[in-house]
Amino acid sequence: MSSTWSTSDLSPPNRVVSVLALSALVLVWVLNLGTILPNRIVPGTGHGLLSAIGWPGAMLVTAALSGCLLIALLPLRFRYVSLLILVSASLATLPLLLEVFAARHLPENSPYARSSIGSGFWCLLFFLSLMLIEIFGRLGSGRGLQLIVVAVICGSWVWLFQGDGLESLSLVREFNARPDKFEQALWTHLALALGAVTISAGLAFVLALQMIRSVAWRRPVLSVVSFLQTIPSLAVFGLLIAPLSALVEAYPVLQALGIRGIGWAPAMLALVAYSLLPMVRNTYVALTEVPESLADAGRGMGMNERQLFFRLKLPLALPVIVEGVRITTIQAIGLTAVAALIGAGGFGSFIFQGLGQAAMDLVLLGALPTIALALLADALLSMLAASLRPTPATA
Amino acid sequence: MIELKNVTCRFGTSVAVDRISLTIETGEVCVLVGSSGCGKSTTLRMVNRLLPLSAGEILVDGENITTMNPEQLRLNMGYVIQGTGLFPHWTVARNVAMVPELLKWPRQRIDERVQELLTLLGLDPAIHAEKYPQQLSGGQAQRVGVARALAADPNILLMDEPFGALDAITRENLQLEMLRIQRQVRKTTVFVTHDIDEALKLATRIAVMDQGRIIQHDTPENILRRPASDFVESLVGKQDRGLKLMSLRRVGDLMQRYPQAAIPEPGEEGVQEDDSLRLALSVMLWQDSGELPVFNGDGAKTGVVTRERIFQAGA
Repeated sequence: MSSTWSTSDLSPPNRVVSVLALSALVLVWVLNLGTILPNRIVPGTGHGLLSAIGWPGAMLVTAALSGCLLIALLPLRFRYVSLLILVSASLATLPLLLEVFAARHLPENSPYARSSIGSGFWCLLFFLSLMLIEIFGRLGSGRGLQLIVVAVICGSWVWLFQGDGLESLSLVREFNARPDKFEQALWTHLALALGAVTISAGLAFVLALQMIRSVAWRRPVLSVVSFLQTIPSLAVFGLLIAPLSALVEAYPVLQALGIRGIGWAPAMLALVAYSLLPMVRNTYVALTEVPESLADAGRGMGMNERQLFFRLKLPLALPVIVEGVRITTIQAIGLTAVAALIGAGGFGSFIFQGLGQAAMDLVLLGALPTIALALLADALLSMLAASLRPTPATA
Repeated sequence: MIELKNVTCRFGTSVAVDRISLTIETGEVCVLVGSSGCGKSTTLRMVNRLLPLSAGEILVDGENITTMNPEQLRLNMGYVIQGTGLFPHWTVARNVAMVPELLKWPRQRIDERVQELLTLLGLDPAIHAEKYPQQLSGGQAQRVGVARALAADPNILLMDEPFGALDAITRENLQLEMLRIQRQVRKTTVFVTHDIDEALKLATRIAVMDQGRIIQHDTPENILRRPASDFVESLVGKQDRGLKLMSLRRVGDLMQRYPQAAIPEPGEEGVQEDDSLRLALSVMLWQDSGELPVFNGDGAKTGVVTRERIFQAGA
């Protein structure tokens, strides 16, 4: 190995980024970048990279991906900083491809015609995101830099989508046809998922404390919450309709509260039931795994059980408990989409409407925000868990 | 003063501690020594009521501990355990401040006390106060453990194999530290160990325990000279006793003093007044000399110790 290669500030070539860049390059040339549809339902005609955005655009995309490939392989200083700049700039300007595509191909004076995102574009988005994650890992950067980069990319997307060039995109059209419903779905979705998580967190905490206090509770509680988890979600939603209807019939008071056999009430019940297992398990394990020697020391120094709990056990258990909340939240956001089947609302209603109308872009209008919410919840709660970790990582 | 009267501790049908009686005078270091499972830790943990007594009674300064609030009792007893038991999510300063905080001392007094104690234990507060336990070495962490136990200036110190998990050199250092601190603060101390050398070094009196009973309770010298049973004799090491006895006696007690302390010649090697006769003998053997100069703590030469004197005095 020559001396230029072994210089300490030259990191070894990165295989992950190069493989990702190469795959993206191949797929973006092979697959359709976008589709032009004469109206909402009829399948349209696909356009590959070259046809979609012409030679200059195709060259630019190729250049960017080849650039990533080369930077990842060649001996360079600041390899990951350059990669970070290139990849995040590509991600931030990605919607421009769709703008150019629409401008080139959308027929004039045909009000129903629309452009749709093709698999090539999705691949590009997916592989660039993976590259970004790998680069973040290699840079060993703090959360601060990651947040800034992600915020810049998201900001750029929001700005580009609010601008003029993209309103022909069928996804945007589906949104523009129902902005109120979209907002309502967002709030319903959040209320259901977060409400279920909050209720189950409280319930799980009480159950976990009870399990710690008395051995008799331990097995039954764990069996019941595990059993709840094994029932298919759709079945739980369905199964709850009959008993809830009967209940409301018997107690009209419940009806006044808005509880019915279908709607938010059974959805909420089912979501809480599903959330219980990860919550209870994490809370219980976290609280019981505080080393007995620490509790012994605290007790021996004169702490009472209350002080031991609040000053020792809870602070040490909190990161693991938050981890349980994180898993549960992501799961609940996904399950809430299914709950639309029993009329609970939320983004799931777009998905099922879209499926019913064979309008794939309406499905996307429901699916994409659901994914975004899950990712956002994951990021926020991971950060919370990290900030709660008892001590700075050492050794 | 701590008095144990016919104290018994049973776990189910097995008897961990069997009708032991023991008096620990104020300011003395009582070391409970014995092999594992002999009931020494159990005895210690009954003193601060971490374990209940099955029978008998324990009096602290004449007061029966079962009539006292257990938390109040423990707040007045420093407690040091093997592996430190420092809270990993608290800084060193906060760990040391634990009991003063429980006692709701004013903030400023707590801060002053933390500084004072870290200094006493040989830890620079400026460097160590804001560290977390995982950032300390084993020896430093156990120093913090001792500082935490001393924080609220308790009358009694309970130490449960505090140096058991440390390497030999660190353990030796901490034992010397403990002797130094004990001379300064004079706590009534109950110290549990399985290491007879540690017991001989630290104890005012040793209680040798076996199968839940106290076999012998006496000064280190008497334990060595007149072991009460074969068990004690084998514990202290039958053949090894001569040297062990020598390690109990100070050079200062046997040296010939000059009328006036002299300034040592440069490069002159010798022993300290506080060193043991065992060490002096070892140095003589190594240097093949019949006598050694003796220095005091300030480095002044105060006399000599000779091989003849040591052999005359005998074990």
